[in-house]
Amino acid sequence: MPRVRFHPDEVSVEVERGVTIQAAAKAAGVELASICGGDGICGRCRVIVKNGNIEAAPTTLLNRDEIQRGYVLACQTKVLGDVEVEVPPETRAEEGQILIDIDAQRFRALYQEERVSFRHEPLVQKLYLELPPPSLHDNVADQQRLYREIRRHRDYPIMQMGLKILRAQPKLLRQNHWKVTATLGLRGGTVEILQLEGGDTSSRNYGIAVDVGTSTVVAHLVDLNTGRTVDAEAMYNSQRAYGEEVTRRIIYAERGGLEQLQKTIVNDINNLITALVSRNNIALHDCSAVVCAGNTTMMHLLLGLDPSSIRRDPYVSCSTAPPPVRAAEVGIQINPRGLLYCVPAIGGWVGGDVTAGILATGLYESDKTVMLIDVGTNGEIVIGRREDGFSWMVTCSASAGPAFEGSGVKCGMKASRGAIERVQISPDGNVLYKTVGNVKPKGICGSGLIDLVAGLLEAGFIDRSGRLIPEASPRIRERDGMLEFVVVPAQRSATEKDIVITQADIENLLRAKAAIYAGALILMKSLNLDVADIERVFLAGGFGNYLDREKAIMIGLIPDLPLEKIRFVGNTSIIGAKMALLSREAWEKCEEIAQSATYYDLISFPHYYEEFLAAKFLPHTELERFPSVQERLRVKEALWHSR
Amino acid sequence: MPLAIPDVKKTWTNAINTVTLGATKDEGGTRTKKVTVGGATALPFHHFEGKMPYPPAIAMEVWDVAPQDWPEVLAEHFRDVWHDPGLWAKKCVEQYGADLICLRLAGCDPVRQNRGPQEAAQAVKHVLESVGVPLIIWGTGNDDKDNEIFPAVAEAASGENCLLGTITEDNYKTLVALCTAYKHKVIAESPCDVNIAKQVNILATDMGFKPEDIVIYPTSAALGYGLEYVYSVMERARLAALRGDKMLSQPMICDIGIEVWGVKEAKASEQELPEWGAQRERGPLWEATTAYVYLLAGADILVLRHPQAVASVRQAIKQLMGDGLT
Repeated sequence: MPRVRFHPDEVSVEVERGVTIQAAAKAAGVELASICGGDGICGRCRVIVKNGNIEAAPTTLLNRDEIQRGYVLACQTKVLGDVEVEVPPETRAEEGQILIDIDAQRFRALYQEERVSFRHEPLVQKLYLELPPPSLHDNVADQQRLYREIRRHRDYPIMQMGLKILRAQPKLLRQNHWKVTATLGLRGGTVEILQLEGGDTSSRNYGIAVDVGTSTVVAHLVDLNTGRTVDAEAMYNSQRAYGEEVTRRIIYAERGGLEQLQKTIVNDINNLITALVSRNNIALHDCSAVVCAGNTTMMHLLLGLDPSSIRRDPYVSCSTAPPPVRAAEVGIQINPRGLLYCVPAIGGWVGGDVTAGILATGLYESDKTVMLIDVGTNGEIVIGRREDGFSWMVTCSASAGPAFEGSGVKCGMKASRGAIERVQISPDGNVLYKTVGNVKPKGICGSGLIDLVAGLLEAGFIDRSGRLIPEASPRIRERDGMLEFVVVPAQRSATEKDIVITQADIENLLRAKAAIYAGALILMKSLNLDVADIERVFLAGGFGNYLDREKAIMIGLIPDLPLEKIRFVGNTSIIGAKMALLSREAWEKCEEIAQSATYYDLISFPHYYEEFLAAKFLPHTELERFPSVQERLRVKEALWHSR
Repeated sequence: MPLAIPDVKKTWTNAINTVTLGATKDEGGTRTKKVTVGGATALPFHHFEGKMPYPPAIAMEVWDVAPQDWPEVLAEHFRDVWHDPGLWAKKCVEQYGADLICLRLAGCDPVRQNRGPQEAAQAVKHVLESVGVPLIIWGTGNDDKDNEIFPAVAEAASGENCLLGTITEDNYKTLVALCTAYKHKVIAESPCDVNIAKQVNILATDMGFKPEDIVIYPTSAALGYGLEYVYSVMERARLAALRGDKMLSQPMICDIGIEVWGVKEAKASEQELPEWGAQRERGPLWEATTAYVYLLAGADILVLRHPQAVASVRQAIKQLMGDGLT
């Protein structure tokens, strides 16, 4: 019987002549990625045959170069004799926490590449102290002894402590032979001793960073000692039941619903925190800091502040930089004395999430003209640079709706396990896709939706106004009076229902991208900048791991710039929140950024709606603004005509 | 001391497309006359800044069925012929000097007689046989119905190089395909929106249709009913075109009669509104005034109804074209 050996697992297995490499892999316990289950259409089970006798069925999913290098599809290749097979990394089936792993890497990458190095000094730290026991020569009182010892390690001139701790302190110190761990929390210019524990517990100090989005809430559990992201969790904001957009929620709050909204978001955050700590066997007690970044309205709702004036001329909020408060006071369940920090906002309509984004991307100290586009329910755009020693930043906010977050789209979902995050339409009209976690698809997330719309346009399945063309593909059909495109048929989806994109979904996506592009364009115009003047674009948003920049240009979400100028930076709101959580310097930088950024109100630009309408086309009504897309479509069309 | 007056003349980089309607026998049609519009290299009638090689053309409106709701001051000119679109068209050309005939297939409208494709094609053929001028054929505006009748209509007029309309962003594929197949020109309609005007043109050209074969219909409004909005949309489109926007460089058509004769300023009789003066003068004047404004905004083809309006607009065009004045 032929023997098949797999690298790099270095396992081998004997199989019947004529079985597929996929079957051999299964027998050998080597997990290969596959979506189609062996039909030869997903192209995920690519392996390299090093040597040996095989028979491979022809496929269009491999190019000539790959075939020469020995690539085959495991499911379409029969074993005829002894074979050596290498499983490339992309084919190894991965289960697990892909989302955070990559995000954590990105976090570091951002840190390094932009040379934003903040000193590691978490907002809440644990300090193990060995106090000298009192004697006649050293008869300082307990509290002062504690302060003195802390000041030996840290330069904290002003400290405070609650009565509860003051009362518990003498016994605790003596019982533990003057060896204690103090939890220190930063409150403005003061440092508060939040907690005193016996012995050395300093290795267990965790914090939570939360991106409080209008549609999506993301929480990361961070080891404050190492800066490592332990785990991440996301959910849709349950406040959505009270309105998709912030204005609806403000109105709901005005009508007596503030408390309800406050409870709802706190409940969401608590659910996320509970999931994170229980999954990682961490005691709530060891979490003493939460940093939240979100738009100004969301911060108001979280803290239970009246948001009503935000939506009324002159659009002033209750606070843009609320002080740190006891998390328990708000209802957030961490250490009962732990602190809640809200990243300061720039204005009523540009919140702490943008401040965090500016921090995370290092935009405030870039010597290039940089644009940050944060795609969320409100799309925020920032343009800025550092010039002659001082930096300017201009921001605006465009109401895009939650389509790119997978909400308001029939089969949309957030970028979590089972979400289609990558789509390609092959020349023969088949749909190739990849899901988060490489599992059966449940729905489509933002990056998948961008790929999909771009793919549909390129394939000629939609026209430039986004209308599905029924005769163009057998996958386009009518259901309940509306056209839709079948992305994944029921038998291949995890939901056992067809995964589709409807005409209405496409329109929502077009509206969302038009709002963001129009905002970006008006901001550029008002600064007298041309697209060519933008030296770098950071594209941010909760898209998960992946975003195809070329496709984002293809649909006209971002200006047509050379790809090397564009970087996908993921969820910068949570990255920034995490940076602030881990570094007092970063936190202080947030305060500085929030104060120095300028807010442009798009409502005051009479041409905004006009620009929006012009952008509601693929890629844009002014085709010449997207030369690369024009070229791509031209090539495509030429190919089509030559067929 | 004489003050030097600076030369503020504008020069533009782009010209409006020329569109020729009608095909003679040599060209595969049966027209005895062709009409060319467009070609301007400056704003309308700015002869000092550029050329305006072709004067705007006047099309007179003819229906495939006798209209029921035309006011008497209008109906009285056509009642003798409107039972027969051929005779009606002939009268417009021979008696009133229409450059073009705009055949509106109103009878196919589901809310009127809901005529079918064969009757529509018949009417088209009949008008073509009756007059030698080029033809504009305007559908019902009902998407499904238009898609049903136009295949027969476009075929019936095959080779005649007619102007067919309208396509919209919601419904363009059928008519664009037909105009490609039967070599007609197409009217691209947009709802008083310069972006959508451009988008419809792009959608049609994405199907391989030549941008030079499109005429823009930016919608029309009667004087007093939003005319200024249309004016500014037309003006913006024309400025963009002269600055080089190829997707807005098409000539523009204004459908004026149907708008004007639907508003009370033209429709109301003296009995109803005696203080407004004689309807017989007021109606045509309202139509002509509306038309003047669109001439200045850049209209290349005007679809009119009343013979008096036709006469006075023709006079205006003549003067504006610098007839003996330059």
